[in-house]
Amino acid sequence: MSQDKAATTTTPKTTGHNWDGIEEYTNPLPTWWIWGFYITFIFTVVYWLFYPAWPIGDKFTKGIPGLHTITYKATTVDGKEVEKTTHWNMRSKFMHEMNEMEGVQKQWFDKVAAMSFADVSKDAELMQFVNSAGKTLFSDNCAPCHQAGGQGKIAFSPNLTDDHWQFGGTYDEIQQTINHGRKGFMPAFKEVLNEQQITQLANYVLSLSGEPHDAAFATAGAQLFKSEDAGCYYCHGENAKGNTQMGSANLTDKIWLWADVPGKATQESKLAEVKKVISGGLDRGVMPAWGGRLKPEQIKLLTVYVHDSLGGGK
Amino acid sequence: MATASVTTAGVGTSEQYNYDIVRKFAIMTLVWGAIGMFVGVYIASELAFPFLNFDSAYITFGRLRPVHTSGVIFGFGGSALFATSYYVVQRTCQARLFGGERLANFTFWGWQAAVALSALGYMFGYTQAREYAEMVWPVDLLILVVWVSYLAIYVGTLMKRKQPHIYVANWFYLAFILATALLHIFNNLQVPVKLFSLESYSLFSGTQDAMTQWWYGHNAVGFFLTAAFLGMMYYFVPKQAGRPVYSYRLSILHFWAIIFLYMWAGAHHLHWTALPDWTGTLAATFSIMLLLPSWGGMINGIMTLSGAWDKLRTDPVIRFLIVALSFYGMSTFEGPMMSLKDVNALSHYTDWTVGHVHSGALGWVAMITFGSMYHMVPRIWNTQMYSLRLINVHFWLATIGVLLYIVAMWISGIMQGLMWRAFDDFGNLQYSFVESVAVAHPFYVMRALGGAFFLTGMIIMCYNMYRTIRQGSTEAHAGLNVATA
Repeated sequence: MSQDKAATTTTPKTTGHNWDGIEEYTNPLPTWWIWGFYITFIFTVVYWLFYPAWPIGDKFTKGIPGLHTITYKATTVDGKEVEKTTHWNMRSKFMHEMNEMEGVQKQWFDKVAAMSFADVSKDAELMQFVNSAGKTLFSDNCAPCHQAGGQGKIAFSPNLTDDHWQFGGTYDEIQQTINHGRKGFMPAFKEVLNEQQITQLANYVLSLSGEPHDAAFATAGAQLFKSEDAGCYYCHGENAKGNTQMGSANLTDKIWLWADVPGKATQESKLAEVKKVISGGLDRGVMPAWGGRLKPEQIKLLTVYVHDSLGGGK
Repeated sequence: MATASVTTAGVGTSEQYNYDIVRKFAIMTLVWGAIGMFVGVYIASELAFPFLNFDSAYITFGRLRPVHTSGVIFGFGGSALFATSYYVVQRTCQARLFGGERLANFTFWGWQAAVALSALGYMFGYTQAREYAEMVWPVDLLILVVWVSYLAIYVGTLMKRKQPHIYVANWFYLAFILATALLHIFNNLQVPVKLFSLESYSLFSGTQDAMTQWWYGHNAVGFFLTAAFLGMMYYFVPKQAGRPVYSYRLSILHFWAIIFLYMWAGAHHLHWTALPDWTGTLAATFSIMLLLPSWGGMINGIMTLSGAWDKLRTDPVIRFLIVALSFYGMSTFEGPMMSLKDVNALSHYTDWTVGHVHSGALGWVAMITFGSMYHMVPRIWNTQMYSLRLINVHFWLATIGVLLYIVAMWISGIMQGLMWRAFDDFGNLQYSFVESVAVAHPFYVMRALGGAFFLTGMIIMCYNMYRTIRQGSTEAHAGLNVATA
């Protein structure tokens, strides 16, 4: 700007206009500004030669043929693998980049797919891959419910890091859970049982986990539990240890999913939590199916990740 | 009206022009500035500390965000443009506003009602879900009527001018008024669900709808937040500096280049979407060609000061104006860069975009407004600014605030962009989305802090202006005959 001699050495002329005391100099356009403007024109034309640019009818210019192309592999509808080279476009670029990374992943995923669960977990190198892919898959797909690291949330989603598995903790059971989803259900008992009976049952349930309870009520509850009046044992079993085949909870451990017993301080409030579940039942333990959303090898990998790396249920 | 009669009593000459309407809009500029920026700081804090939602739907980020954008763009920016354009057009045409007090007052009450109704509507969940055009259709109609009145006043006043030529500031203001009318109409072609329903459907669908929305969105930036504020710049910079405009030729050339090129650039907001590639290419190249025309305004503003650089040391108002032009130059460089496909692949959907908008909105739009208001307000109330020192404090708070804001957004934005595209040696995505959210937290805190600095400056300005206006009114009462500039 300082090389603009006209501006610094002699006083430039004004246009002779005057608006509310404002005048205008007749300084020429700064040379660098004009050149800068020209350069952006040149850049623009070059850019048009590299990318799709101008519409012509229902077609458009695709840049100079062969100047800026993208090659990618794709599978056709009838399952044939084809390689295509096209002018630059977003979809080809996406396909090309996906090809590249899937190429790197493939050798690892192939191994996971070919080996048994147990063998995968014994292969230290492969487990590095499982952990790397599993962390992101889990965070993006599972963590919204099961929380970061699979710690779960009482009254919302099961903890995946403890020893209890609602629907079974073997590799096959976990894989089935991820593939098909789960739906936990417990009928409501408020129509079947009276207030006192529900209180008795709740005390019994608390006693099973060593929580503070009323012993007399708990004894009566134990009877009711095994009786045909309540029929709790149908699902939870004679010994109240639950049944992973139908997803009924083990009531004898200290793990709580729906009744927030650990979160309550007093005996009454703990009791109220359990009574709420017995009288109202449960119809919200829904896990969606991931089969179809994730690829089979991704689900297999997630299975190993959940089983081995999150810990629990071995 | 009370202030008008008070001033008339003291200084009869000020009634050569309709300053009453300028005063009204000037006051609302301050009010909306404080409200809009406060809401901005609040939602920035919500992003950093989500408990601030307090489980209330009315104040969640989603509802308050358009309250913030409408409050600062249409409330603060819009009122500032009405105020300054009415001031500038009268003074540079040596003519009173066309259409009389009534029409001018209608634009005032209509505009304030439109902004207030939209803001309240958003909190209650009434929105058209089009960015910067969220107003429901009845409010759109109100704006339309107000805007046509504004156009009539403006053109009418220009036609009444006692000057042979039209000053450059007025070209920019007029282009802004015309373009905004065009944008507002076409982006709001909606079919109401029922006659008495606030909900409506867009006339366009799919990609064409998105395209229309961003043709609007980008030109709202181009004509509302750029061209119009360049009009402000072209009057207040030479006026405050007491120097002629640097180059008449440059002003003509960059004016027409901006007007022609801006209209094409909107589609760069839709890179990497369903929008056809060629559309994005054209938008990117027209954005690149916009760089030098945009800088034309910066050069003309900054060079106007050449020969009077010492004023930067002594005059905080000049400081506001020049720093505004510097941020303008920076963000009009950043914008074209971000419009290139490959840069956009990194910046799109990240906080970088948010930072870019704010370097323009806080650095350019708000700073040039502050400078212009500090020049104009004492003149329309026939007094001096209450405290130059407070202007200086405001200047530093605002500058530090903008810098904190954009640096925070650059870091978190580029970090997000890099994390989302990072692969590890196994070909797996290296980070989950939520990890990119977690690392952004300190920068969200920093952004909220930057906003708080800026807001504090704004509140100090309100106080300073309040004292100035009160002093102006008292002087008028006391019969002190302070000459108008």
